[in-house]
Amino acid sequence: MNKWWFPALTALALLNGCASVPRGSIPVVDSGSQVSNGERVSANRVAGPVASSGSSQAQPVPQDSGVTVMIPQGAGSSPIQTFPAATGGAAISSGPITPGPVDAEPFDIASMNSAPSPASAPTGIPRSNTASGSLSADEQLDGPVLALLTTAQQQQGSGDYNGASSSLERAQRIAPREPQVLYRLAQVRLAQGDAAQSEQLARRALTYANGRPDLQAGLWNIIAQAREKQGDSAGAALARQKAQVKL
Amino acid sequence: MTRTRNSRTPKKRPTGRSRAWLGWALKLSLVGLVVLAGFAVYLDAVVQEKFSGKRWTIPAKVYARPLELFVGQKLSRNDFLVELDALGYRRESATNGPGAASVNGNTVELNTRGFQFYEGAEPAQAVRVRFSGDYVAGLSGTNGSKLDVVRLEPLLIGGIYPKNLEDRILIKIDQVPPYLLETLVAVEDRDFYQHFGVSPKSIVRAAWINTSSGAMRQGGSTLTQQLVKNFYLTNERSLSRKLTEAMMAVLLEVHYDKREILEAYLNEVFVGQDGQRAVHGFGLASQFFFSQPLSELKLHQIALLVGMVKGPSYYNPRRYPERALNRRNLVLDLLAEQGVASKDVIEAAKKMPLGVTKRGSLADSSFPGFLDLVKRQLRQDYRDEDLTEEGLRIFTSFDPILQMKSESAMAETFKRLDGRKGGEQVEAAMVVTNPETGEVQALLGSRQAGFAGFNRAIDAVRPIGSLVKPAVYLTALEKPSKYTLTTWVQDEPFSVKGANGQIWRPQNYDRRAHGTIYLYQGLAQSYNLSTAKIGLDMGVPNVIKTISRLGVDVDWPAFPSMLLGAGGMSPMQVATMYQTLANGGFNTPMRGIRSVLTAEGEPLKRYPFQIQQTFDPASIYLVQNAMQRVMREGTGRSVYSVLPRSLTLAGKSGTSNDSRDSWFAGFSQDLLAVVWIGRDDNGKTPFTGATGALQVWTSFMRKADPLPLDMPQPDNVVQAWIDPYSGQGSDASCPGAVQMPYIRGSEPPAGAACGGQATPDESVMDWVKGWMN
Repeated sequence: MNKWWFPALTALALLNGCASVPRGSIPVVDSGSQVSNGERVSANRVAGPVASSGSSQAQPVPQDSGVTVMIPQGAGSSPIQTFPAATGGAAISSGPITPGPVDAEPFDIASMNSAPSPASAPTGIPRSNTASGSLSADEQLDGPVLALLTTAQQQQGSGDYNGASSSLERAQRIAPREPQVLYRLAQVRLAQGDAAQSEQLARRALTYANGRPDLQAGLWNIIAQAREKQGDSAGAALARQKAQVKL
Repeated sequence: MTRTRNSRTPKKRPTGRSRAWLGWALKLSLVGLVVLAGFAVYLDAVVQEKFSGKRWTIPAKVYARPLELFVGQKLSRNDFLVELDALGYRRESATNGPGAASVNGNTVELNTRGFQFYEGAEPAQAVRVRFSGDYVAGLSGTNGSKLDVVRLEPLLIGGIYPKNLEDRILIKIDQVPPYLLETLVAVEDRDFYQHFGVSPKSIVRAAWINTSSGAMRQGGSTLTQQLVKNFYLTNERSLSRKLTEAMMAVLLEVHYDKREILEAYLNEVFVGQDGQRAVHGFGLASQFFFSQPLSELKLHQIALLVGMVKGPSYYNPRRYPERALNRRNLVLDLLAEQGVASKDVIEAAKKMPLGVTKRGSLADSSFPGFLDLVKRQLRQDYRDEDLTEEGLRIFTSFDPILQMKSESAMAETFKRLDGRKGGEQVEAAMVVTNPETGEVQALLGSRQAGFAGFNRAIDAVRPIGSLVKPAVYLTALEKPSKYTLTTWVQDEPFSVKGANGQIWRPQNYDRRAHGTIYLYQGLAQSYNLSTAKIGLDMGVPNVIKTISRLGVDVDWPAFPSMLLGAGGMSPMQVATMYQTLANGGFNTPMRGIRSVLTAEGEPLKRYPFQIQQTFDPASIYLVQNAMQRVMREGTGRSVYSVLPRSLTLAGKSGTSNDSRDSWFAGFSQDLLAVVWIGRDDNGKTPFTGATGALQVWTSFMRKADPLPLDMPQPDNVVQAWIDPYSGQGSDASCPGAVQMPYIRGSEPPAGAACGGQATPDESVMDWVKGWMN
């Protein structure tokens, strides 16, 4: 009668053993493309040495805030020219006379170019009204963008390049067309050793830096350094020349 | 430790037969004792092993972008409040503690919660935001201090779950709100601090109550036993399991103190089911039912959560609000009875509504399309176990406000178009990105919001029709010596013999030829004849090369029909291609993820902004100009019956053969959207690009209210005055003269007098000047 205690207890032990299998190995629902890369969760914060700082640091003018900001000088410091000067006669839409046969329509340029709405400021940087001749673009670098550039500067100073990049990208989202943000991003990338991206970012910045010769020169200097790093000394020389000419 | 059945040692002197029987019994029970002792040792190992290690595997958590606040930001007060609601901010008359907001006209005061981001911690702070129009006009601390930029905590939009679909947000016992521990102990196990894992007292009490009431009203399980049951054992109900449970409970109490056990309980307890996902622990429960962090919960919310432990589905406050309310108030009464809180406090709590968030609100609706994109990107860098077990925090670029706007644009447009025959079987997909950063902000894998199946935005590769045309014109405009926006081209029927001997004879959508037109008109009006002619002149392989430079590697054969969009792309690929057009010729790989942190908030990985210039901005500038004309005067012009003319936009419609696919892709300065409409079985639809996809696109843009497109004019682009009828150089003063952009040197010679001939000297001087600059 009591004999079944033995197997019963054994079975109990076994059952409970099964019941309490650690949950370590949980199958995943859709494990379609399992990637077995060796690095897996690896911290990728770079804390490498600053490779370059020299000439590009010479260009910017330090401001009170501790942030290095490019300041263009002279007459060229008007804001980026964004609207084609469509002032005069274009406003009168020309009559529907077909240049070619059939139903081709004439230009409707008036509507194309005369659309500077008040809402057209890039987010974050209230664009000064061209007509009212207010602050230059650089002086407008206060508020959020300046604050984030300051943070980035501190992070870069303590060797936290990834943190600095991250802060600068935050600034970029706030003011995507501010070339100074891209300029700083290019600097950080260069310091991180990513010369190719550094050059690309500087080139992107150049497209927003019309009429700001100092900033352009600074950007060409970064391009020169980036090209040097990539082993393109001819290209570097060319960029250096551009940096000279723009000054 | 091993208190077992050996305590019944016989006292009476047994006689003959029974003595033999007893001898056997003694031997057997000795064996049983040994086995049981071994079992206890085994259980002890199990208890300790699992409790001392990592107690739970935590699915990766995916977060939306944090909302940034700064003066000059384009953000309407209403959108801001939608975000606050989604984040579970309490509306109060005066802000009081993290997670509270008070609205007063155009000013909103709030106490942010603070959050650990990749580049550092955002502190919790008291903030005042003032709105004016659709902009943030003021930002300061509530004490008046100046604030440059403030980030809200990001909305949790999902997780990456393993098969058992357990989910939780781990909490520490010192982070719990007041009353939680007291309430839990009062309701579930009032002798918790006295017993040793098992409470004979409460077993007796439970038995008494159950027999006297004739129903199972109270269980005698201690919190420790409940924890053991959930943590180590299965759901099986049997005596042997009950015994094992009791043994393990005692063992647990031997090794760990009460607070540790309580903390484990808080994280283990099952509180509800969210579809396939099991909601465990009060941390997640608080988010799931109130969209608030646990630490912010008030007494009435705590009473509800604790009350639900008894029967999470029976007391589900969303499904059975009345039942849940009764249970909550019962719990509150119990608290009054046991003196946990004063009568006034209890009475006030009883007057509160349940306060659970609605289902389907921003917070707990899911965004499977976007999460799918995130998972695919993550799987390139992480193993599945890392994603489902390590509690990683994934920060994305997802913008819940834009997602809601695309979902409602889609739903409303389909409702409006519903009358169309064959419209029911039509599916759709949509991708919204920021062209300046390449970040994906919203994604719809289906016309139905929240649909979790086939992700058409990523996987539906369909003929793009005329969406390909900007690539044809870009190829041409890169040769300014040959093509400008005002080059005369022929829109006349023609045929070419393909490599396979077949004759290809393109046709216009309206089956008419349009004669001699300006080049840009071919794009604006989406004429097939002129476009095909230009494309053939450039060479099909070169056009395909342009597409690859735009960021999409297609394996299309170099057939002439590719010039009119016979080749297929997914909506995501189209977005990639148009992103390069929108971003001045700089290609950016589409990103959905910004960074990854460990469960402890340590930075792990970043997905940086990367660009690659693949075109001279000048030719992009010209293509953008022509694409603006699509909207002003071409196939996209219906947008301006809805949107203000001051909003400069560029885009292109696309329709594949027999209207099987209806596309629209276009952008403003800060927003790019691609819409596809078609049937999964590739059948015919009642929509063209303009009557289908463009309607969704327009509705979305109206809701999103983007910034007008405004590409800076490149150095090597000049604006020239021309006579609109002849296309010849003119002067600003001439009647009807219009301005067109040209790559420097390709502009028509300036006219001497209105309608007259240009003097060569001037044009040479112009050219020389341009060269000097």
